Amino acid sequence: MRLAAIGSGGAAPGQRSPRVAARFAAFLPDHKARIGLVFIAPALAFLIVFVAYPVIDVVRLSFHLVDFATDQEKFVGLANFAHVLRDAKLGTVAWNTLVWTVFSLAGQFALGLTAALCINQRLPGMTLIRTVLLLPYVVPVIALALFWRWMLDGSFGIVSAALQAAGTIAPDQSPLAIPEGAMASVILANIWRGFPFVMISYWAALQAIPHEFYEAASVDGAGAWQEFRYVTLPHLVAITKVMLVLRLIWTVTFFDIIWLITRGGPGGATEHWPIWIYQETMGFFRFGSGAALAVLLAGTLMLLSAVYLLATRRSAAR
Amino acid sequence: MKRASRTTTLLPYAVTLVLVVFVGFPLLWMVLSSLKPSAELFVNPPRILPHAITFEWYANLIGSSDAISLFKNSLVVGVATTGICLTLGTFAAYGVTRFDFPGKHAFLGAALISYVFPAIVLFISVYMIVNSLGLIDTRLGLILCHCILTFPFALWMLKSFFEGVPREIDEAAWVDGASFAQTFMLVILPLSLPGLFSVAVFVFVLSWNEFLFASVMITSGDLKTIPLGIAEFITSFDIRWGEIMAIGTLATVPVVIMFLCVQRYFVAGVTSGAIKG
Repeated sequence: MRLAAIGSGGAAPGQRSPRVAARFAAFLPDHKARIGLVFIAPALAFLIVFVAYPVIDVVRLSFHLVDFATDQEKFVGLANFAHVLRDAKLGTVAWNTLVWTVFSLAGQFALGLTAALCINQRLPGMTLIRTVLLLPYVVPVIALALFWRWMLDGSFGIVSAALQAAGTIAPDQSPLAIPEGAMASVILANIWRGFPFVMISYWAALQAIPHEFYEAASVDGAGAWQEFRYVTLPHLVAITKVMLVLRLIWTVTFFDIIWLITRGGPGGATEHWPIWIYQETMGFFRFGSGAALAVLLAGTLMLLSAVYLLATRRSAAR
Repeated sequence: MKRASRTTTLLPYAVTLVLVVFVGFPLLWMVLSSLKPSAELFVNPPRILPHAITFEWYANLIGSSDAISLFKNSLVVGVATTGICLTLGTFAAYGVTRFDFPGKHAFLGAALISYVFPAIVLFISVYMIVNSLGLIDTRLGLILCHCILTFPFALWMLKSFFEGVPREIDEAAWVDGASFAQTFMLVILPLSLPGLFSVAVFVFVLSWNEFLFASVMITSGDLKTIPLGIAEFITSFDIRWGEIMAIGTLATVPVVIMFLCVQRYFVAGVTSGAIKG
């Protein structure tokens, strides 16, 4: 029965009440389109309630003062933004965020591209090496934070011991106790965790370059550098563009590594924007200020991404 | 000519050797440290290889109910998240790869934006939603949060797997008289099982490793997941490095094994641009 009905192309999907089905059918005459909508309906509802609504709500919250104890909200206009922008640590946090992002990205892209070029060589053992180099991608950040702290422990850490022996830091001192050392440590941890993603993305792009291109280049007498410059590099432009945007967003907003290694310390030396958001919200229960910081962060990132994508599109068109 | 080919062979090995040490040494150091007795753990300068191996730290952990409960909670949250995400995700991914309907591109665009959207921006309002649902400090609340984080990613990855199953197979099933639901459940799902399995693994790993939402949503000790539990383990009192390295190893080993089983699909997923970093 049902099969015949579906075959005829006019009946409602499933066995729902005829009136609802009839209305749905009138709204969307194409039977297959209705079936498609039924398939995505649960996912759509989930995205609207738990992603779209929170995004809108965080903007709304940024204009409100939230008293969490009494569950009261009061519209305060731009007061939350004024509060955070007048905060004495604004400059330091912004600078830390910039340093964290720029050095993390530079390290991840440099190591990622280098590794991709190596594992792309058709040499024995490269598949195994690729697998090993991918491991940091799945290692829990908490484990990373633990062994990083252990290696940098002032008294018994192996990296600290090496630095102490070299005279870079004082005996019994940990790099995490020095502002610059702490920042360098968390950035290095982030490079460790993030470069495999860049590597595997570049590797996939390299695999997609037709072998004939290299043959043609070598027939034309191109050397290794010229091959890289005129064959390999142009094929990596598109993926670099996409990855820069993705990595920028995910690096600026990455909270776990710094929080779990230094908690923003020593003395705020590694406090970046996400940690500020977290502390305003979960530390001081100033949800409105936290939301204002989140809106500022998301807005800046959207603006940067849009400007970057537009600018590169224009230069590509030219 | 011969010299050039030797450098082109040796250089990749030399460079990757450095990278393998950079990646592998910290992991190895964690495992080695978890097996060293106190006398060797707390020496300056540290020795690389242990003279004596001890399982004392592991025994301490397995003997404590706290550590067991961390693993149980992470397992429950991870499995539930994976189940919900995959159910929602397979239906939606099948819908968008097999049918055309108004708003399809808007839906895909929205899914892509939510896939990029960072947790640190979302967690404030999500906290308030979960709070108004009365689900703060419950497993269900955390499962919901983990679904928010992983669902867009799961959808995007499943979509790329369903695109790999030719539409002609669906059409053949329809011609043979199967309903849309039958085609989906009995024909396409079994064909995409390897893909589904690998997406399940990635969702599980993301949930297993997740810290931010867990730290915001969970306050009772007996509901804490591994990342949250360990994070407090190191700030609460004296730092017991032996046990900490042991629990770090125990938290890492399952996800590494799972990853090794599906890494083939991971590489395929990257090629289709569907991996979250």
